[in-house]
Amino acid sequence: MQTTFTDAQLLDPDTRRSNEILRSCVHCGFCTATCPTYQILGDELDSPRGRIYLIKDMLENNKVPDKATVKHIDRCLSCLSCMTTCPSGVHYMHLIDHARQYIEQNYKRRWDERALRWLLSRILPYPGRFRLALKGAALARPFRKLIPDARLRAMLEMAPRKIPDISKNDLPQSFAAEGPRAKRVALLTGCAQRTLNTDINDATIRLLKRHGCEVVIPQGIGCCGALTHHMGKSRESHSAAAANIRALVAELDGRGLDAIVINTSGCGTTVKDYGHMFRNDPLASDAARVASLAKDISEVMEEIGLKDASHADPLRVAYHAACSLQHGQQIRSAPKELLKAAGFQVLEPRDSHICCGSAGTYNLMQPEISSQLKEHKVSKLEAVQPHIISAGNIGCMMQIGSGTDIPVVHTVELLDWATGGPKPPALAATL
Amino acid sequence: MNPNSKINGPTEVFSPNDDAELSAFLADSYARGIPLRIAGGGTRLDLGALNAQQTLTSRALTGIVTYEPGALTLIARAGTPLEEVEQTLAEEGQALAFEPMDHRGLLGSSGVPTIGGVVAANVSGPRRLQAGACRDHLLGVRFVDGSGRKIKNGGRVMKNVTGLDLSKLMCGSFGTLGVLTEVALKTLPRAERQLTLVFSKVSLQEACTIFASALATPYEVSGAVYHQESAWLRVEGFAQQAAYRADRLKALFRENQIDVIADEESRALWRDFKNVEVFAQSSEPLWRILIKPSEAPALARSLQLLGGDVFIDWGGGLVWYCGSAQSAEVRSAASAGRAVLIRQGARPASDRFPEDAGAISRLSAALRKTFDPAGILNPKLMGD
Amino acid sequence: MSTIAMPKPDARILAEAPQIIAALRDALPAGTVISDPEETRAYECDALTAYRCPPIAVVLPRTTEEVATAMRICQRFSVPVVPRGAGTSLAGGALPTADSVVIATIRLREILEIDTTNRFIRVQTGVTNLSVSAELEAEGFFYAPDPSSQLACTIAGNIAMNSGGAHCLKYGVTTNNLMGVRCVLTDGEIVEVGGPFMDSGGLDILGLLCGSEGQLAIVTEATLRIVPKPEDARPMLIGFDSAETAGECVARIIRSGLIPVAIEYMDDVCLRAIEAFAKTDYPKCAAVLIVEVEGSQGEIAHQIERIREIADELSPVEFRSSRNKDESLAIWKGRKSAFGAMGRLGDYLCLDGTVPVSKLPYTLKRIGELSKHYGLEVANVFHAGDGNMHPLILFNANAPGELERAEAYGADILRLCVDVGGCLTGEHGVGIEKRDLMSKQYSAEDMAIQMDIKDVFDPDWLLNPAKVFPLDVSQPYRDRASRS
Repeated sequence: MQTTFTDAQLLDPDTRRSNEILRSCVHCGFCTATCPTYQILGDELDSPRGRIYLIKDMLENNKVPDKATVKHIDRCLSCLSCMTTCPSGVHYMHLIDHARQYIEQNYKRRWDERALRWLLSRILPYPGRFRLALKGAALARPFRKLIPDARLRAMLEMAPRKIPDISKNDLPQSFAAEGPRAKRVALLTGCAQRTLNTDINDATIRLLKRHGCEVVIPQGIGCCGALTHHMGKSRESHSAAAANIRALVAELDGRGLDAIVINTSGCGTTVKDYGHMFRNDPLASDAARVASLAKDISEVMEEIGLKDASHADPLRVAYHAACSLQHGQQIRSAPKELLKAAGFQVLEPRDSHICCGSAGTYNLMQPEISSQLKEHKVSKLEAVQPHIISAGNIGCMMQIGSGTDIPVVHTVELLDWATGGPKPPALAATL
Repeated sequence: MNPNSKINGPTEVFSPNDDAELSAFLADSYARGIPLRIAGGGTRLDLGALNAQQTLTSRALTGIVTYEPGALTLIARAGTPLEEVEQTLAEEGQALAFEPMDHRGLLGSSGVPTIGGVVAANVSGPRRLQAGACRDHLLGVRFVDGSGRKIKNGGRVMKNVTGLDLSKLMCGSFGTLGVLTEVALKTLPRAERQLTLVFSKVSLQEACTIFASALATPYEVSGAVYHQESAWLRVEGFAQQAAYRADRLKALFRENQIDVIADEESRALWRDFKNVEVFAQSSEPLWRILIKPSEAPALARSLQLLGGDVFIDWGGGLVWYCGSAQSAEVRSAASAGRAVLIRQGARPASDRFPEDAGAISRLSAALRKTFDPAGILNPKLMGD
Repeated sequence: MSTIAMPKPDARILAEAPQIIAALRDALPAGTVISDPEETRAYECDALTAYRCPPIAVVLPRTTEEVATAMRICQRFSVPVVPRGAGTSLAGGALPTADSVVIATIRLREILEIDTTNRFIRVQTGVTNLSVSAELEAEGFFYAPDPSSQLACTIAGNIAMNSGGAHCLKYGVTTNNLMGVRCVLTDGEIVEVGGPFMDSGGLDILGLLCGSEGQLAIVTEATLRIVPKPEDARPMLIGFDSAETAGECVARIIRSGLIPVAIEYMDDVCLRAIEAFAKTDYPKCAAVLIVEVEGSQGEIAHQIERIREIADELSPVEFRSSRNKDESLAIWKGRKSAFGAMGRLGDYLCLDGTVPVSKLPYTLKRIGELSKHYGLEVANVFHAGDGNMHPLILFNANAPGELERAEAYGADILRLCVDVGGCLTGEHGVGIEKRDLMSKQYSAEDMAIQMDIKDVFDPDWLLNPAKVFPLDVSQPYRDRASRS
């Protein structure tokens, strides 16, 4: 597309990048077809092409963002389905990230929304605070009908009734490989995940150890920055990311790392983009090193190869492809192949490319669209009549789990089980 | 071609030799408001009591203009005899895939069927089921409208969406919108082999079930007809292909008694089907009824109750009814479909074409008025 | 911006815009009407971004009745209406005018009926082309027309433009696969045309509506012919060292009595772009054909063999036939990414002229000569079996004057197509892009009768203004309409 940025505007590296992206878009509209919000709302403005147009207009004219533009940008899930679809390789992720940052800096949201966003950004990335908040939510739940704000209600609905105890496994330490060591890997233990579900990291550590990996939980590792990044809060996200980069580089330069393993694909997409986030920062080369070593757990396991997978029942497993995995990281076959190799019967629901509506904090900020997407997703998953639903992202697991009685587990829990680990606790009750 | 071909009805016949003559003639008729019977070779329309003083035919506008077998296109002047077109195509191993019928047997007409007449009446035979109708193979037309305007539309290429598609509108308008002077058609390779599966002792209901199953297969069934307890399915292709398709269908219908007829014998059979030979000997009114295939058995039953016989083509989608029932009775029986009276028999009817619902009827009339403002082209043939 | 003229917006309509918007809002459910200028901007163009103009309002109805309501209101205010599907037109078919209301069918997404016995599907026209086939997948059927944008484009747009695709050599274009429609006329009347039978018996109004580019009515429901899926399909790739030989090969294949389902052509400029983008292992040569055949394994083998014999006579640089799914995907991969790959080279104008297959080599040669004349690179990637060319003229939209130069070059190519016996547009439609070239293909009388027909359906000339007919040619009609 033609753009009208001035030379002066193009001096800003973010604007320069956005210009490149906009120039590569030919406005063909293919992205509309696979955009979840467009599917639901049927308005060009709620499609990638419409948002690209709004962003272009906003950036080209140095506009103070208007309400309508903010509304439609906010409705974007950042599922990146459009990037999978785009024939011209438009990097929508960098564009929408820039737009969110621009809005955060140039638009004054209503007080309640600001407060909500501030609250989320101050709680979710911090396991201690999040844990406390969830306990508070348990107390508030009986009164939820009295809360006027749909988003706050949604948060209470989403808050799990039971939260696990703190897992010692998530503390900084190193787990020795079983047998000869093939790899030394760092594990990102995540932020919200550590509070909501400790089984995933436990299973990941067991699985990696069993496959000859020494697993390091680096000192100083924390939230990857994705949650605040998607709110456009670049200061917060950059400082979280920078802390991680420093922690990981310390390990890299110390005893060395073969990979940085991530089992929350939403985080993986962001960590893999650290190189871009820090491209104009003194941390640039470190960030790029970290990004290049970042791997989803399924990538690592695919490389190592699953051994002795004889312990599993040949259960029917519906594989839910997390958007951050299938679109953000373009990992599609690895998890399914691993599950098959583990002896499960892998089922693929229709419309697997469409987001479940979790999308980081989306289900909290846009409860209506999110719940429609959840309903749609659950119905497609249930249609294949699985014993288990498997996914590679805690957000999706929570979202889908809140809409179905079929147990939802992380792919690694199944792989761990099949290769000799314990039965995933989530399955204990039903299977 | 034979300029002295007999045309039923009025005797004064004008056959212009070129577009200019035709245009001048029509401009004059328009100015003077002279109603005209429009004809090609005069073989297709059983016009009966059409109120026209003169006959205007395109039969002197003859000759194949261009034929490019490698591009699957043929352009011919409207009066070119169909036989000449088919002969030319056959020499290159090609054919008109929509298999236009010859109405002479049914109507007792004695002219020479022309390619323009085929197009004007959108004449399509049994293969319409698989290959599409005449209108689907029409790439472009030249014609003169009812006020003498010389018009071209479409062209000679298979993909063309330039402007409104008047070719489709001209096709099947029976001369009521203008007189065709040239048509461009898509041609297709003539199949190397054809095989016909004959099912005996089947009811129409059973036949329609067979048709639906067969037409849901990828074996490109190119003919599905039924008459008096027999059903026929045709497959075509290069030699191995036709054999393979026939075998697969035989396997699919292994419960049925099936005979196979091949090549020349099969072609002769389908020539008869195409021309609806079964009703050629009769002189009773003949109706062509288009209907949803699954509704053919019920329609056939109610028509048979009115007396007469039915012949089913297009896998049930086309019901030929030959019988003496009143127009109103036939139309009422065929209310779910579209009934066109092809042969009037002893009792001329004024409503050969089905009456359209409000808006369509209004739009059709307005379109006719646009093309033929003085109402001189086959007046009232397709409605007011 | 560019050279295409648009009529001056009607000041009366602009002045009445608030009332028009209010009337639409009053009559339609909440969330149906968009009129905030920040929001209408996203509807200011379709996939042809060279021309842009936001409308007064955008209406997004969910039912045929809502479309009718919107139409009635627009007629009451004499406001032009721009029908829109998914907005994927490359010809500016959905370009609004400043004094128009856009009515989009995109929320009409119901699949209404699937009838495999009578081989049709009935849908609301906002469903996408590909989703129709997806609905039929389990039944073993598919919907044949497959425009390149089939993932996103709607059936409404397909009908308006009479869309084709790669496979229409065998299966025909939209008009050959359309059995009936439900549509809304400018006065809001809802009309059924055709239906699940194979002919209508009367005038072929359905054939007239199909490809009428939103000039006559808005189609809200369609009955589509469905076809059984072939047992299998397999492509082969044939490389030649000259465009001419490749063109000759196409003609010989067709003449041999084979009807491949697709014959696609790519030239060297295109091949180089693909190579850089999609990392295919296409041969480096002047032209590559991808020929796909379908049928049973035996039928496929037989056809591949016959095509190999034909190609061998022309000494191809390479002949490769697929033996399995992966090889098929590898052969198609480059072709499917061609447009994306070209997008990476810069901006492009995608043309759509058709020429007789026998004129392909000459036309390609002339396009090359013109490329030098205009100093703009061109890539050719198109459906060769039916002569439908898609020259992509590469230019830099941010460089002043280049769009105009590209447009002039494009116009020359389209004139060339007409001169060799072809036409301006094979499947994209005239839209705004080729409007002023209509006089090249059609005489004043040819166009007059088409405009007379528009008069019948749209006496006030409200539907899809300023498209298809050159403005000077349509002036008397529009003047008459506005007077009445």
